[in-house]
Parts: sequence; structure tokens; C-alpha cells
Amino acid sequence: MKLTLPPRVSPMQFDAALKAFAGVVGKGWVLSSDEDRDAYSDIYAPGPETLWPASAAVAPASAEEVQAIVRLANQFKTPLWPVSRGKNLGYGQAAPRMAGSIVLDLGRMNKVLELDPELGYCVIEPGVGFFDLYEHLAREKAPLWMSVPGNGWGSVLGNALDHGIGYTPYGLHARNLCGLEVVMPDGDMMRTGMAAMANNKASHLFPMSYGPDWTHMFTQSNMGVVTKAGVFLQPEPETSLELSFDIPNEEDIGWVIDIIAPMKIAGLIDQNVFIPSWLGKIVLLGQRKDFWDKASAIPDWRVKELLKEHKLGYWKVQIRLYGDENVNKAKAEVVKAAFKKHLDTPPHEVWWRQGEDRNIYDLTVGVPTAVPLQMGDWVGGRSAHLGFSPVVPATSKHVMDQLKRSRKIIADHDVDFYASFTIGGRFANNINMLMYDRDKPEQVESMKKLFSALVTESAKAGYAEYRTHLGWMDAVADTFDFNNHAQRRMNEKVKDALDPNGIIAPGKQGVWPSVYRDQSKEGRA
Amino acid sequence: MKRVALLGLLLLAACNKTSAPAPEAAKGGPPPLPPYQMRAEAPTGDRLAAGGDGAKLYSVHCGYCHLPAGMGTNLLTKQRMMMGEPPENGLLTNRKDLTADYIKSVVRMGKVAMPRQTRVDITDAELDAVADYLAKAGK
Repeated sequence: MKLTLPPRVSPMQFDAALKAFAGVVGKGWVLSSDEDRDAYSDIYAPGPETLWPASAAVAPASAEEVQAIVRLANQFKTPLWPVSRGKNLGYGQAAPRMAGSIVLDLGRMNKVLELDPELGYCVIEPGVGFFDLYEHLAREKAPLWMSVPGNGWGSVLGNALDHGIGYTPYGLHARNLCGLEVVMPDGDMMRTGMAAMANNKASHLFPMSYGPDWTHMFTQSNMGVVTKAGVFLQPEPETSLELSFDIPNEEDIGWVIDIIAPMKIAGLIDQNVFIPSWLGKIVLLGQRKDFWDKASAIPDWRVKELLKEHKLGYWKVQIRLYGDENVNKAKAEVVKAAFKKHLDTPPHEVWWRQGEDRNIYDLTVGVPTAVPLQMGDWVGGRSAHLGFSPVVPATSKHVMDQLKRSRKIIADHDVDFYASFTIGGRFANNINMLMYDRDKPEQVESMKKLFSALVTESAKAGYAEYRTHLGWMDAVADTFDFNNHAQRRMNEKVKDALDPNGIIAPGKQGVWPSVYRDQSKEGRA
Repeated sequence: MKRVALLGLLLLAACNKTSAPAPEAAKGGPPPLPPYQMRAEAPTGDRLAAGGDGAKLYSVHCGYCHLPAGMGTNLLTKQRMMMGEPPENGLLTNRKDLTADYIKSVVRMGKVAMPRQTRVDITDAELDAVADYLAKAGK
């Protein structure tokens, strides 16, 4: 990819900045060839990758090097886009929101600094991936489980900082963060929570602070660069029992939510319950053309045929219980009794006991894998996906309301319907997976229109996305409109106070520093 | 095509998330999934220096997807079987036709589902060692 300079930075100034960075990290860790710029672009970009071009990348090996780079970036006015491992697939990967930003790639900072099996936590750097941490736990024989997202290739901290979700009792990943170390936009360093006291023994244990707790100020944020953090881990359960139900009809999702959510809120079920629709199962069986050979959306009659042929329900519910065997048995009776009121077929039950291997494709037992990304093969070509992910209250009323709305909008755009609901507490994340072939421009255009329609119409009804792709960061930020966008106005005040040169991730989640606010209209999908 | 369909069934069975191998696996059904494939421990030292252990570096940097039952292996198994080759060829370490230049090109430029790898993901020196390890064509 050709070089796009940061706004108002001359080629000479840019070159001087890279040379200065090389003085900190070594020449080999400043990456600025056309090939490097390609590697840091978004392979799933809805539209040309050149909409979100990085100018270069720099890869520090320590927090001290991060501080030095941030100070130099202020001096040379070259904005940085920090990534932990840069595997935010579907949301922009490693690509920056503002053209010309320099990717601050923290992938080399990949140490597990502390592991405490007794209290169940670790302290890690941003470059530690899910596979790395899983293998570290295995090598240390630590009786601890992680929570993993669909893409295990990414960073544990990066995913948590971007509000990623998993499917175990520790599935709200940002809630597992405790005691962050952060390089501030001026190069200063602070620690949050109890860690704000040097050598505090509960730095990564107490989930609040003395005084205001700033931990979550640094998630989905451009207020600083997180260089290490405590992460809570789940004690390995004595047993685990999975109950899986095939739910026959689309409208059944209403009663499914109404029986699962109260059990989740009451603590009888402690995992995040993932409920995918049928297409989530079929995508792994082959390519779309094997099941429906037309470009138009798969019609309902064909869906019915496919469900019959492959013995699938419209929805799949997999509830996993963790802990003592007798407790799991007792909980299972409650779950089964609740389902029996609506469904004659009993669930398929599979026990896991300590000492047994865990299923490597089962995200609910915390094993990292990249296999869910295989769904990309469904559409063929240079396949990509976008997830439209509004958060809805976990009741049938709201779930059905959102389902009907998104279903209609998606059908109006003649796109296949692939929804899932993840019940994470009093809410459900409704992820609508939109898959497309990047080599078909008309398909990409249609997806973009569809996505924008989903954001706008859902917001009108009172639902917002929890996370989004670079191209819609501003559009989604616009939907948070209480009192003339009071939250954005506060974010901007804080941003300008902490980062007057707008060095850290300008535009992240729609928060623009005043020096780059003129760029906010660019890079919208 | 029948074998390809079998692979699909294997994947479906796997993704139904049964924790233990299904009992029917023993009766001629799809083979059970392997246990988690541990990657090698990353070598310490200068990642920019030449002369690394290609086998180890392959495991560390490509093992996310290209060990048995990984995402890349699954997709390549399907691809090779469609071409009439045995399923074992889905594993890159079993391929006899790969060249170092081809491997480097795919790693840096990406291919279908495979994203481009940055030089932090795998350095040029590491990639040289991996490409030399995988390239068996003409050897």
C-alpha cells in the first residue's frame, strides 16, 4: 500500500519520526514498507483497504519503550494507533481509524508476568495471545481455565479492552481486568485500582479503587496505552455438564430467553449462554453454493428443507454447568424442568470430568481456537464478515422486537439471516453475522447500506451496538445522543486535557481530539 | 466428494461441542478430534537474527491454524481432497510440493482465508527458517 502521511506531517518530519523511533526499538522493529502497510490493513475491509491506511508500524518490547515512543510521537506530531496483537477481525483488524496513523504494535510485549493459581489470576502484557496463555497454564499445570472468544488468535488484553465476549462464567472479558498499567498520552505512566499504590499486595484482586476507579476509562478508549493488566481466571471445575437442546422454530427464541435469563440473573447458570441460529452450524459444512446456488437470500422454504436434511433446530441452545458433580446434577434438573414445559425432547447431555481432555472446538470450556473463522469459507472468494451487534434487554419482548426489525431489514437487502443471542446477564448481545465476498463490489455496497440501516433503525427503537467496525465508529457514537451527546462532549474534554496533541488513537470509538476533529468525516464506510 | 462430505460431518460433530468423542466414532463414524496441540515454546533471543529452528518456529508462529485440526488445516484438507489428494496433505508439513518463495509469498500477501502476517507476527529471519523447513520441493 502506498504511503499516506498523517495529517499535516511532511515527508521529512515523518522520516525524522521513524528514525527517532528506530533509536528506541532498533531499526528492525520500525516497519514502513508498502508490504508492511498492507499487512497492517483490514483484510475484511468493507470497501477499499485504503480507506483506513496505516503509514507505518513500530513495535516496542517494553513499557519503557512505549513511553519513549509516545513522547517522540508528541514531539513529531505523528499519531499512534495502539494494537495488542492486531487481530480484531471484523472490526478493522490492526488498521487505524484515522489515515496515516502509525500502528503501535505491542505484539512483542508477550510476557506472562505473574500467575497465581490460588487466587486465580494472572498479570500479562498485551502481546499475550489466547493460545499463549492457554499453553502457559498447561505448562505450569495451573488448575485454571480461561474464557476465549471466537478468534483465539488475538490478544487476551486486546480482546478484553475492546469489550470482547466469551462463553464461560468469565465471559465478560472487560470485567476480568483488574489493575491496569497505562502509558498516558504524554508518556507518563499510571496504574489503576489498588495498583495505584506502589507494591500494593491486592493490585490485581480488588475490582474497584480508592476514589474514582479509572480502569474502564481505558477500554474501547484512546486515553492511554495499556502495557500490562491483571486478568481473573476461572478455577478448573471438578466436573462440567453440557445440556444441548435443538429448538425447532424461529419464534421459540422468545420462550428460550424468558427461561434462561432468570436462571442466569439468579446465578443458577453462570456462563454466558450462546444461542446461534441454524446458519451458524451449516456454514461449517461447506460453501453456500452447495446449499443454495442463487445470489438471492436463502428463502424460508429452503431453510425448512435444510433444517430437516441436517436434523437441525432453528436455534441451538447449549447450556454448560461448571463445578461439583452433585451441584451440577441438581442444577441440570432445574434447567431440564424449565425446558420441559416447552419442549418434549430431552437435552443431549455430555459430562466432562477433571483429567479428561477438553473438546478443542468448544469455546465454553475455554480452549482457544481460530476454527470459528472458517465460516469465511461459506461465501467463498476473499470472504469477510461484519457483525451487527446491538445489546437488548434479556426478555422475549425486546428480543422478538429486535429480531423482527433486523430480520426485515436484512431480508429487504436480500441477505441471509444469521443471528445469535448471547445472554450475558440482564441483557443479550444480538450478533447478526453478515458475510460477503470482498471481490464482489456490489455485495460490499449492499452490506454497507444494510449495516447503516441496521444501526439507524435499531437506535430509533432504543438499542445500540456494543462494538463496531472502524467505518461505523462515528455513526454508532452518534446514536449515544442523550442531552446533545453529553457523553461525547465529556469524552472530548477529557481527551483534549490528557492528549492535547491528539497522539493516541484519534477517532477511536468516535472520540476525536480537537486537533484532528476535521478528519472525522473521512474513513466512514 | 464423499470424503469431503465426511470432513463436513466431522466438523459438524466437532462443532456440536460434545466434550467427549461421540460413541459412534468407534463404529466407523468420523474420527474423534485430537487433543489440544501444544505449540513449541518460543525460542528466546534475537528474533531478527538468521539461523532459527524452522520446525520450532513453524510450530510457534503457524501453529495457531496449521497444526492438526487447526482452521488452516481444516480448510486446506478440504481443498486438497477436492483436488483428489489424500486428506493428510491438508497439513503443510506433509506437503512435498511447496517452495520457499511460495510460502513467503502466501505468508506476506495472504491467501483466501489467511490474513497477511506482519513482521511482528513472524520476522523475515523467522520466515526464512520456516520456509526452508516446509519447502521440500526439489530436495
